[in-house]
Amino acid sequence: MENIGLLMQGFQVAITPMHITIMVVGVLLGLVVGVLPGLGAPNGVSLLIPLTFTMDPVSAIILLASMYWGALFGGSTTSILFNIPGEPSSVATTFDGYPMAQNGQSTRALTLAFMSAGFGALVGVVVITLLSTWAADFALRFGAPEYFSVYFLAFCAFIGMGSSAPLKTIISLLIGLALSTVGMDTITGSLRLTFGLNELMGGVSFLVVVIGLFGLGEILMTVQDGLHFRGVASRIDLRDVFRTIAELPRYWATLLRSSAIGTWMGITPGGPTAASFMSYGVARQWSRPGETFGKGRPEGIVAPETADHSAGTCAMLPMLALGVPSSATAAVMMGGLMIWGLTPGPMLFATKPDFVWGLIASMYVANIVAVVLVMATVPMFAALLRIPFAVIGPVIVAICFVGAYTVSNSTFDLWLVLLFGVVGFFFSKLNYPLAPLVLAMVLGHKAENSFHQSMILSDGSLGVFWSNPLVGSIMSLALMLIIVPQLAKLVSRYRNRGTLRSAR
Amino acid sequence: MVVKRIHMEVLVTGLTALAGVVVAGGSLELGVGWTGSGPEAGYFPFYVGLLLALAGTANAVWTMVIHRGESEVFIEFEQAKRLLTFFLPMAAFVIVTIVLGLYVGAALYLFYVAWRQGRYNPFWAAGLGIAFSVGLFVVFDILFRVPLLKGPLEAFLKIY
Repeated sequence: MENIGLLMQGFQVAITPMHITIMVVGVLLGLVVGVLPGLGAPNGVSLLIPLTFTMDPVSAIILLASMYWGALFGGSTTSILFNIPGEPSSVATTFDGYPMAQNGQSTRALTLAFMSAGFGALVGVVVITLLSTWAADFALRFGAPEYFSVYFLAFCAFIGMGSSAPLKTIISLLIGLALSTVGMDTITGSLRLTFGLNELMGGVSFLVVVIGLFGLGEILMTVQDGLHFRGVASRIDLRDVFRTIAELPRYWATLLRSSAIGTWMGITPGGPTAASFMSYGVARQWSRPGETFGKGRPEGIVAPETADHSAGTCAMLPMLALGVPSSATAAVMMGGLMIWGLTPGPMLFATKPDFVWGLIASMYVANIVAVVLVMATVPMFAALLRIPFAVIGPVIVAICFVGAYTVSNSTFDLWLVLLFGVVGFFFSKLNYPLAPLVLAMVLGHKAENSFHQSMILSDGSLGVFWSNPLVGSIMSLALMLIIVPQLAKLVSRYRNRGTLRSAR
Repeated sequence: MVVKRIHMEVLVTGLTALAGVVVAGGSLELGVGWTGSGPEAGYFPFYVGLLLALAGTANAVWTMVIHRGESEVFIEFEQAKRLLTFFLPMAAFVIVTIVLGLYVGAALYLFYVAWRQGRYNPFWAAGLGIAFSVGLFVVFDILFRVPLLKGPLEAFLKIY
């Protein structure tokens, strides 16, 4: 296996004292971000990117990726101890995690969560290791129309597979695309949609938008709900930890099934949040009779956590190999890559093997580091949530504005963050999905460029997207992803009406 | 006065439709047709704007048809009050920051919220604000060499 050899080289890059230190720092920062409601993984990574401009890209991506793992773990801690999901993707963990902790088994709940999360993440990295070269080789055959069709597929997958209303997903995507066109056009060199504002000439940075939407928007949501921390005891008992680890193999079926769900949802743009809910739902349907779900059943923790982490990890595969991120955080990281002067996609594997395989190897190490660190620091981070909101709230807000300012040292961005904070609040409140907006902003330029090139190839005919079997099947798949779920809804509505009528 | 969710739904989706019209209109000035070298600069944003306007309108109509008569409340009075007490100091923070710089702005903001809303002793609150700003300075200006926005106070103290 050629990949194994490359991976070994990657380990040589990843396992240096400096990179291990970076992982520890990244995971700890990620835990902070994951624990605090209002700071999430996409937003945390956006805040860090300006600080990585001067770093070597390998170290920078290891830092960002470790932060992502840390944030995923941190979100579960608060779900279990406080019934507050620190991340949207750990909402499903609250269903059984918090009841189990309330029953006095908080160590068991946390250990179950972290261990199954670690397992899910490892499955994800193994999948990446095995598939990445193949995926990149496949993508090398892509021309402009194929690339456009893959972007189109990503957009359609959000519309068809997301949990929000399709029209709202479409609106969110289109706003992202529109924002990406603001500023200097790279093809024609003309200024677009600046409406006479000099500050808009450089475009709207997706980092600023992410900090506004996810950072301020989420904290406004938290404020509106009013914060009630009713935490349960957060001491970790080592004996309980080992007893729980010994218990874990009993849930092998749940672990494997949830990893498979997570892997699938991670590679296709379903994302970790959808994966964890789906996995929880499936576990409920397939489980043997026993304790009821929602009252602290172990499978109810194992299933969402495994899927959440394997999806989060697998989201890196399409980002690296195709340049199409499938989660908001992966989209932000990909934006970071482009800022560092790297082009994600198949060529990255050929030109920067150190970078790619260093990153993949670091995922193995960083996830183990994360499991150990998160167990060791639970009491500390639980204490973080006991800080009164009148202190921690403004601190989070100030950090968001500082982060936005560091993107391009512009005071105009401070207003933009405030604006997008308000937009983020209204969008979350009305269930508009935010991830498609970010994805569209990051992919907007590439989608537009590949669309332009395809149109030039074909002299303006859309037929180019069905000109060969490869691009044709991707485009058809994309259209099916939009149409089939809507048809299914119509059919089931029609059937329900039918049964109602016959029941009368 | 009670704001119903359906009203907000229609308002927000109407605003997105309006944004679509603005984008499409702005692109029209750039030219949305074809030249010898391919599509003009406004081509892509024009259709994005057009679709956005359509999707926003469709969503507004859809909401009005399907959800009409629903009486779910958008925001409770208590919630709105909490939001405003949080939002107003935040907006003030932005204005103060643009005039006085990020360090002074952040210190004043933390001081004000901890003092007035957290009901801390003003000296303690001031200490918190100053400690936070010093922390920011150490991390950004010194450790990472990323200078943050400075104002008249820093100029007076000769910190650049």
